[in-house]
Amino acid sequence: MAGTIVRITNAARNHYGFLAANCSNVQAALLSTLPPGTPPPQTKTTFGPLADEDRIFTNLYGKHDWRLKGALKRGDWYKTKEILVKGADWIINEVKTSGLRGRGGAGFPSGMKWSFMNKPGDGRPKYLVVNADEGEPGTCKDREIMRHDPHKLVEGCLIAGKAMGAKAAYIYIRGEFYNEASNMQVAIAEAYQAGLLGKNACGSGYDFDVYMHRGAGAYICGEETALIESLEGKQGKPRLKPPFPADVGVFGCPTTVTNVETVAVAPTICRRGGTWFASFGRTRNSGTKLFNISGHVNRPCTVEEEMSITFKELVERHAGGILGGWDNLLAIIPGGSSTPLIPKSVCEDVIMDFDGLVAAQTSLGTAAIIVMNKQTDIVKAIARLIMFYKHESCGQCTPCREGINWMNKIMYRFVDGNAKPEEIDMLWELSKQIEGHTICALGDGAAWPVQGLIRHFRPELEERMRKFHGQERSAAQC
Amino acid sequence: MSSHAIRAGTKQVRPILSTDRHEARQRVLNLYKAWYRQLPYIVKQYDIPKSVDSLKQKLREEFRKNDHLQDIRVIDMLVVKGQMELKETVNFWKQKGTFMSYFKDTVEPKPKDFLSKFLSGHN
Amino acid sequence: MLRTTLIKALNAAKLSPKHVSVVSRASSDVAKKPEKIEVFIDDQPVLVEPGTTVLQAAALIGIEIPRFCYHERLAVAGNCRMCLVEVEKSPKPVAACAMPVMKGWRIKTESEMTKKAREGVMEFLLVNHPLDCPICDQGGECDLQDQSMAFGSDRSRFTDIDFSGKRAVEDKDIGPLIKTIMTRCIHCTRCIRFASEVAGVDDLGTTGRGSGMEIGTYVQKFFLSELSGNVIDLCPVGALTSKPYSFTARPWEIRKIDSIDVLDAIGSNIVVSTRTGEVMRILPRTNEEINEEWLSDKARFAYDGLKRQRLVTPMLRGSDGELTPVDWETALLSVGKVLRNAGSSVGAIAGGLADAEALVALKDLLNRLGSEDLCTEHTFPMDGSGSDLRSNYLLNNKIAGAEDADFVLLIGTNPRFEAPLLNSRLRKAYVHKELDVALVGPKVDLTYEYDHLGDDPNVISEIASGKHPIAKKLKAAKKPLIILGADILQRPDGGALLAAVQSLAASTTPSEGWKVFNILHKVASQVAALDIGYTPGVDKIRENSPKVLFLLGADEAAIDKSDLPEGCFVIYQGHHGDQGAVIADAILPGAAYTEKQATYVNTEGRAQQTLQAVSPPGQAREDWKIIRALSEVIRVPLPYDNLNEIRCRLHDVAPHLTRYGEAENANYFKQAEELAKTAKSSNLSGSPIDVKIKELKDFYMTDAISRASPTMAKCVQAVLKQKQSKY
Repeated sequence: MAGTIVRITNAARNHYGFLAANCSNVQAALLSTLPPGTPPPQTKTTFGPLADEDRIFTNLYGKHDWRLKGALKRGDWYKTKEILVKGADWIINEVKTSGLRGRGGAGFPSGMKWSFMNKPGDGRPKYLVVNADEGEPGTCKDREIMRHDPHKLVEGCLIAGKAMGAKAAYIYIRGEFYNEASNMQVAIAEAYQAGLLGKNACGSGYDFDVYMHRGAGAYICGEETALIESLEGKQGKPRLKPPFPADVGVFGCPTTVTNVETVAVAPTICRRGGTWFASFGRTRNSGTKLFNISGHVNRPCTVEEEMSITFKELVERHAGGILGGWDNLLAIIPGGSSTPLIPKSVCEDVIMDFDGLVAAQTSLGTAAIIVMNKQTDIVKAIARLIMFYKHESCGQCTPCREGINWMNKIMYRFVDGNAKPEEIDMLWELSKQIEGHTICALGDGAAWPVQGLIRHFRPELEERMRKFHGQERSAAQC
Repeated sequence: MSSHAIRAGTKQVRPILSTDRHEARQRVLNLYKAWYRQLPYIVKQYDIPKSVDSLKQKLREEFRKNDHLQDIRVIDMLVVKGQMELKETVNFWKQKGTFMSYFKDTVEPKPKDFLSKFLSGHN
Repeated sequence: MLRTTLIKALNAAKLSPKHVSVVSRASSDVAKKPEKIEVFIDDQPVLVEPGTTVLQAAALIGIEIPRFCYHERLAVAGNCRMCLVEVEKSPKPVAACAMPVMKGWRIKTESEMTKKAREGVMEFLLVNHPLDCPICDQGGECDLQDQSMAFGSDRSRFTDIDFSGKRAVEDKDIGPLIKTIMTRCIHCTRCIRFASEVAGVDDLGTTGRGSGMEIGTYVQKFFLSELSGNVIDLCPVGALTSKPYSFTARPWEIRKIDSIDVLDAIGSNIVVSTRTGEVMRILPRTNEEINEEWLSDKARFAYDGLKRQRLVTPMLRGSDGELTPVDWETALLSVGKVLRNAGSSVGAIAGGLADAEALVALKDLLNRLGSEDLCTEHTFPMDGSGSDLRSNYLLNNKIAGAEDADFVLLIGTNPRFEAPLLNSRLRKAYVHKELDVALVGPKVDLTYEYDHLGDDPNVISEIASGKHPIAKKLKAAKKPLIILGADILQRPDGGALLAAVQSLAASTTPSEGWKVFNILHKVASQVAALDIGYTPGVDKIRENSPKVLFLLGADEAAIDKSDLPEGCFVIYQGHHGDQGAVIADAILPGAAYTEKQATYVNTEGRAQQTLQAVSPPGQAREDWKIIRALSEVIRVPLPYDNLNEIRCRLHDVAPHLTRYGEAENANYFKQAEELAKTAKSSNLSGSPIDVKIKELKDFYMTDAISRASPTMAKCVQAVLKQKQSKY
């Protein structure tokens, strides 16, 4: 599920959206007084396609050697020592300048998040936990990094760890990722042997360890506190916040949980500079991003693209267009299964970045785009997603445990149309009763697809009910 | 104000039968006499294991129970009740056992001292 | 649970917020705590310590926030979501039980958003709840019932009942005490948290996930703990109910009488529920100084022993050697005759369940007959100051005081089974305050870790001389406790042991007012008996060979026929046909603790009284009254006829016996230690220190009442069965 369900709340998203709308005007005026680490204002107005020399993940498709030798050839581990020696503040500043936002789904500014950790400690060790429990349906970006470019992540751990003053990094990898885990393990071992990790990493005088931990296959373990619980050997059930992991995290020590992609882009940002990274995408949505395009497209793929590219260009250029042509598009789920779907009418000119999708009442999430064309049974598709959430709910808190189960039952009746139109409103209310009332964001993630469906496909639902009852009546007459 | 109310209250009380103490006393005596005369017949009619003398003693006892009463209205009411009782007895509207309940022969006295209370299980 | 908190909240409501702040400010002056923060709850200002949760802050001004999973004495789980409240400027409602208040927060407990959230959670809880209230034992005292009335929607929209129905969960067999109907479970996890935090038995947990989540033991296993019954009270619904009580009574048809438990020396406060002259169940009553709101299983479930093996009529042993029922008059007369003939050659032994009134009456009677041979069944050494100084035989630092200790040395005691609620305090301190515990005696499971110092009594003198490694810890401790089990004082070298421990206690350097030396008794009557002036131990009886022996509920077989002279007449007064009645020549049936208003003094010296819940069965009478009646038969009448008069007599003997609820302090530790030195210097023997109750199966049946209880017998069977199980 990666961090998609760690998504910020609706209001928080609106908050960002509001800022984004004003930022471009305000920022220019304030430039002279801005604190260090503020991304430079964006001057571009069109985004994408990304030039090959600007790609961070140059072995995304595994065409080259993924091991240390190949990685060195691609520029990994280049002058890592210098970066480390420049110190934590420099790294954090660079990340802040880059405007990098968490790639796990919530989109929290990474520089700010890392700086929370970089305060005087109380004697407890600090830890970096990398969330490689990529379980969100539709999302397959982290696994590509881990199996084809594992050294990017290992180096990222070292740099992010240095920025936070962490003692060690734990990579919590999804249990199903067997090959990815083994590649990662090999990469870590290579790094240790080359003196890049461990005591005096890269000769910088900084001691840093990286450990792998394989999960046992639960979506909820991608939620940061559940991940911490699981890492500690307990049941993967989200913790109450506060206290936040930055205060009390894994083994009771300050911890930051970050997504694989966020960590993996950090070395390149440090090498090429935050301003370079910030030059892609709109302000506050800067950088490049791995997009996963799956579903009814001609060539499903994972591709690194510039943020703020339009959906239409993304899908036409990289995925070979919609099956049956653009006009055959029904709807897309833009950011992994837990984001609300948007229909074709919205898809026409939607911009694929955080604020652009918030404006379309959905969310960028993990940028895993699920495309559905007009041959899709949209109700059944959403029902299947709810079934997934029902199965993956940890069962800890009431609204999620009972509510999603109930929604699931209703959704499957809606597939047949075996319901009354009033129940659509009831389902809407139920989803509102779950959303925001749970400990973690899984409840929200389950509620949003339903809300998206009702928002955009209510006539479809009503039509099915009419048809179902019509059939029943005619069957009764026969 | 209050004394006035009391006076008004006492004034407004209506007598039941008698208007003064003397009259009330006469009624009591009459009732006593009426009972007294009936006692021999009662013994016979009810066939109770009591002598006329012991009945006379019980009659005196029952009247003496109320000899502290001063309120004419109360005395009158008791006289009325006594007359009803007499009528019921004489007309044989009662059973033998009911009449015998005057004597409480079968009723044990409530224990008073600790040990007898203990033995009888009273607290 | 909700009800008790409601009452608490109501009490708190009597104090205006101004008072609250004044009171708490006074306390904060001492410790120089961080500044208080002001928050507004429904526009009422309240000043609280930083870190106070929303729910606690609301309780301060008497606003009750509904909850299921939250419990004051357990960790916060925050998973029922019933306590969601709106906080101004926060987009989503916050869980009041877990969220610490921030400065200036405006919390709205009655706003539209709050109400909507509660209604939603309630609807979700009821979706899979069977609504079988008419056949549910929790009906009438169910949090879910009450809160759905108060906070739920007024109508159902659960249309899916027509299509798919509700979840059903298989019931689990977790032992003879707790009945499970798991379909009713709302997954609040209170039971799990209680088991792992308070009881220290990590047997309960959740399995499965999402709507398939279940509470259980995972493998077929009994939830066996000396405190297991408390999960019944904790369960907010009818998922965990009492097995012995099942389908016997409804809460609205029972009468509740506040009383005291006497099956151990702790004196837990209880509520006895009765219906038609029968004890239906026993529940704990909150007393922060004794049992908090917990109760041990023996105290809770042994009540069915009150209906079995009872002595209901006086009996005399006939010429054929059989006990034959007689009426009270005959019994009193023949016993009186024997007593009169014996003159002053009369002895008495008081058992563990005897109340103070009976004890003082019996002592007065025997003294009038010219005898001083009044003993208790349980020994205490008389060397040195013996039982003359009260500090010698009390749990001086009080039960609640155990929580503040920083080092505890247990000698010859297994508090887990001798006083489960003291042990839960020790565990609390161990878990939350880093208490260190050391134990001299056999290795037992105390639910927390401790340093086992072996079972050689000479360890004590080693510690005293500073040779033992633990000595340093004891010396360094600011609040050390030494808890000595009353059991080991029955050893021949008990006096020397007591003296050694006293001097060890004197060698510590506790902070002001802290009392190091503590005795943990096992029976409810001992402290009162010693206060009244009984001689501990039955040696006196053995020496003096009385012609008549009066057993006041003495059932531990401390003495048997072979110890007594030929033709000694044994009178047994008590409520159960147990070991004492077997050797008796005359039996006088007494009342059990639920059947009389009587005084008991617990191990910390706190006088408390039981109230009469039901009347004694058959011809049984209150104990002191039997002795009073007997005194009249033998023409030395005792000068009290009713409860008030005998309580006056109690007050004359020892005033603290009638100061109910208060623990009378004892002092003179120094003098006791000095006197202990003058004792005949018998050296410690090398025989290992032992305790009688080592494991759970020994815990259930320890006295006449629990030995007669079928439920307790089932518990013992369950423990034995569990032992054979591979889990």
